[in-house]
Amino acid sequence: MSRKVNHIGQLVLRLGALCALLLLVGPGNTFAAEAKAQLSPQERLRLGERMYREGLLPSGEPMEAFVSGDVPVDGTAFTCVSCHLISGLGSIEGEVVTPPTNGRLLYQARDSYIKGSEFVPYISNYAKYLPVRPAYTDASLARLIQAGVDPTERSVLHVMPRYEVGDEDMVLLLEYLKALSAEHSPGVTPEEIKFATVIVEGTDPVKVESMLAPLQFSIDRKNSLAQASKRNDRVARMGYNMLGDLSMMSFSLQHWILKGPPETWRAQLDAYYRKQPVFALLGGISEGEWEPVHRFCEEMKLPNLFPVVDHPVLSDTDWYTQYFSRGIRQEGEAVARYLQGMSELFNGRDVVQVVRQSRKGDALASGFRQQWQVAGLPAAKEVVLAPGEALTPQRLEEIVAREKPAALIVWDDAGSLPALSALVGKDGAPGIVITSGTWLGEALWTLPEPLRANLYLTWPYRLPQEDRRYDFAVNRMLIGKKLADYDRVILRQSFIAQEMLGKALMDMRLEFYRDFLYDTLGMMGDMYLPLYERLSFGPGQRYASKGCFIVQLTKGENPTLERRSEWVGH
Amino acid sequence: MIKSGLVMVLVFLLIGLFSGPAQAAEAKYQRSIETFSVPDVVLVNQDGQKVHLKSLLESDRPVVVDFIYGTCTTICPVLSAGYVNLQKKLGPDNQKVHLVSITIDPENDTPAILKEYLTRYRAKPGWDFLTGSRRDIDRVMKSFDAYFRNKMDHKPLTFIRSPEDKHWVRLYGLLSSRDFMNECREVGI
Repeated sequence: MSRKVNHIGQLVLRLGALCALLLLVGPGNTFAAEAKAQLSPQERLRLGERMYREGLLPSGEPMEAFVSGDVPVDGTAFTCVSCHLISGLGSIEGEVVTPPTNGRLLYQARDSYIKGSEFVPYISNYAKYLPVRPAYTDASLARLIQAGVDPTERSVLHVMPRYEVGDEDMVLLLEYLKALSAEHSPGVTPEEIKFATVIVEGTDPVKVESMLAPLQFSIDRKNSLAQASKRNDRVARMGYNMLGDLSMMSFSLQHWILKGPPETWRAQLDAYYRKQPVFALLGGISEGEWEPVHRFCEEMKLPNLFPVVDHPVLSDTDWYTQYFSRGIRQEGEAVARYLQGMSELFNGRDVVQVVRQSRKGDALASGFRQQWQVAGLPAAKEVVLAPGEALTPQRLEEIVAREKPAALIVWDDAGSLPALSALVGKDGAPGIVITSGTWLGEALWTLPEPLRANLYLTWPYRLPQEDRRYDFAVNRMLIGKKLADYDRVILRQSFIAQEMLGKALMDMRLEFYRDFLYDTLGMMGDMYLPLYERLSFGPGQRYASKGCFIVQLTKGENPTLERRSEWVGH
Repeated sequence: MIKSGLVMVLVFLLIGLFSGPAQAAEAKYQRSIETFSVPDVVLVNQDGQKVHLKSLLESDRPVVVDFIYGTCTTICPVLSAGYVNLQKKLGPDNQKVHLVSITIDPENDTPAILKEYLTRYRAKPGWDFLTGSRRDIDRVMKSFDAYFRNKMDHKPLTFIRSPEDKHWVRLYGLLSSRDFMNECREVGI
């Protein structure tokens, strides 16, 4: 009898094992096991990363999955990364909290601080509570990915796809998860986070100081709190209430000065980094080239938050530099959107761009050209002004007489104002004349009266009279220094940089992974800070201000700007 | 006794083996019938064409509307998978229904981004993705009682309009394929 029971017991065990095997071995397991065994550790991680980020099995086939119970989906549209994000530390969107999926956290039990409580305060502010659970094992994690059941036998939300991944492929995916966000990024110790800011030599010292002042103020303030917290328990409690575990940490800011031509910058950046690795670059400033710094950050996977540059690198896929906007080019794009709304009234007459040959002029004209083309409108005519060539009233009149444009766009500095003024009231003058408000500089505020009613200007910021409410917050960072000694725009930009860094670090708590910094920024809602009407973020979005007003200057001795468009238009 | 125990074990094992995702496809969403007044705004579709929303939605064929955005990570892909699946199931009949997605992130979602999104999901004709000015998009969201100040706080909402009685069915939650198909059949899709 007992032998018979044993026999049946063994049979049940074997059947159980068979079922478990059947559960593990899914379709798509076409990538030969032998081939995988010969892969280098790097190649195994690369294949695991491809499954995580692109939803492709090692065979190259898409991972198949089901969401919401029975909705079949293609893994390439439903990758792990879309919810658990690049760092694997999870996300919150709408009502859905996605827990971390990095090995370090999965393979440790999630316990409550308070015995008996079912929920535990979570590592990050954005997802405050998650249920307790034992540590995952390889088998229970594979079961979760395939069947959606966690080690407490709870069925996880059906937003989580149930993936059809075979056991050999699963091993690669689990290896990747174990390596994901396993150790803090370089530049972080338990006591300190190191930052650097990149300054291109030769940049106007007022601009450099305007970029540095808010960053340094913010770091000094943070370090004072850390120092005081270590000395005084009451301050420590207060600091902890404000900043949590971050309150005891110090920050430092190195200045990485780049000298010589841009092609030599990479070697200089490498040398700075070798000498002292940093967690991220903050701010930074250049009046010309920035691309070598951008490329360095991409290759080193080093975040750079909000460099002050006129010409950001434009990319839909690059990850590591967060810009304020698409730069001056955005003004050209805004003009195209503005004019496109009224193009039906042009009755076949042309739009003409008069462009000063220069980096700014080219960026503005190119922004307009591309946006105009996207709208499916016939290409605008272009007149290029060589460097040093004056735009005289006669020259502009000739252009207008020849082309008879419905709309005239002049991308030039304040030197163009006499020609624009002379055009006012002339027979055949275009119905609308537009120029860049920022390129005019201070001359914008002293436009001749007749021109004010006839000239439209791009303005990529909040209107100054409406931005004054932030003066106190920004100016107090100067601690007694004169506001007139600083560049108003850059000061505000740098205010934004330190503010956003603070918000992100608070949300990250002590999970100092560079990718998590961007994952955290991507989860932030719209921000209303100085200078820009609105900053918006989202996963992978790297140009925070997407808007630009078209404005006109009012009459009188103390004129203001008046809106003639919305902040953003499509 | 032992034999019947074995049979029971096998039955449980087999249930375990074949109870796949479909097992969990219970109705876990809220359903209500609503009347909305669609604002008369002009939005832009994925091809950059202007679209009069009111006439687009109040047509004589069934319309399904959801609110999503291009870089959304969690909810929108699930809603879009529902659209894809519906189009697949309808096959050649997919023009029987007009699927409309309206962005809640108009600042970022240019027509080019909308087009790329639809391509990524292999959308067939009959699924339009619309953007517009922030003001107009806010008006549309408010008119559907689906306004979220912060796009990260949005909720899984789907609206189905029956051309017969001109009412909207409001579905709150992430629907299984079976539930979504059943809801669509109710309005004659």
